[in-house]
Amino acid sequence: MINSFSMDWYFITLIFFAGMYCMLVSRNLLRQFIGLEIMSKSCLLGVISVGAKTGNLALAQALIITMIVIEVVVVAAGLSLLVKNYRITNSVDIWSLNNLRG
Amino acid sequence: MTYHTLLLILVAAAAVAAVMARNLLLSAIMLALVSVGASLVLFDFQAPWAAVFELSVCAGLITVLFVSAVSLIRHEESKVAENRARFYAMPLVMGIVAIAAWFYAVPYFESLEDWARLGGRANTLGTVIWDIRRFDLLGQVSILAAGVFVVNSMFPRRKKQK
Repeated sequence: MINSFSMDWYFITLIFFAGMYCMLVSRNLLRQFIGLEIMSKSCLLGVISVGAKTGNLALAQALIITMIVIEVVVVAAGLSLLVKNYRITNSVDIWSLNNLRG
Repeated sequence: MTYHTLLLILVAAAAVAAVMARNLLLSAIMLALVSVGASLVLFDFQAPWAAVFELSVCAGLITVLFVSAVSLIRHEESKVAENRARFYAMPLVMGIVAIAAWFYAVPYFESLEDWARLGGRANTLGTVIWDIRRFDLLGQVSILAAGVFVVNSMFPRRKKQK
């Protein structure tokens, strides 16, 4: 039986792959954001796992709180851009973004 | 099979469900379930501050943002011609990756554990940074408020047509 730390990182790898697969496969902009969220969740779990292993739990929590704040701002700005883009091009397809003209 | 492993399995299953869901609203709700599972894992790691932030901000605010965005682009869902076969192939690909990671990644993670002793020395640094960080917690809260105000641009006030 493998130990707890390796088990954590095994699942972190799987969750990261799920998010990456979503971003690779989908053409919907909203799904891209969902994939980004899943990837950042797996990174969060990785940070806390390493922090618990080395005894630096306070530092890991400080990093995670900063990361969550940045994540929220990125998602809020991205979703508002998505809605704006939808109102202009009437599409959420990621291929509709290739006709940006100044 | 401990409680901890069960939580991680829940997070992974919710992530796969969020990717595979055909309905975008269901996908957003599954993402909230991923957040709740992650915050339970954080509670299990004895990290209550990060868990509370995760539960309130990621499971609450981000879900509200996603659901409002889905409701704004609702009738567009059926028009995007996506290749669903790639999504249906996801459990197969996940299974292959899981088996490969079990044989190749786990020994690497076990070898990483020897380095944990070196990283454990900086224990006092952690408390110092955590004490100092109390000052810019207010700044982070204001950044969070700025992110909320960005939502304001999603719902612009309409000008009266003359």
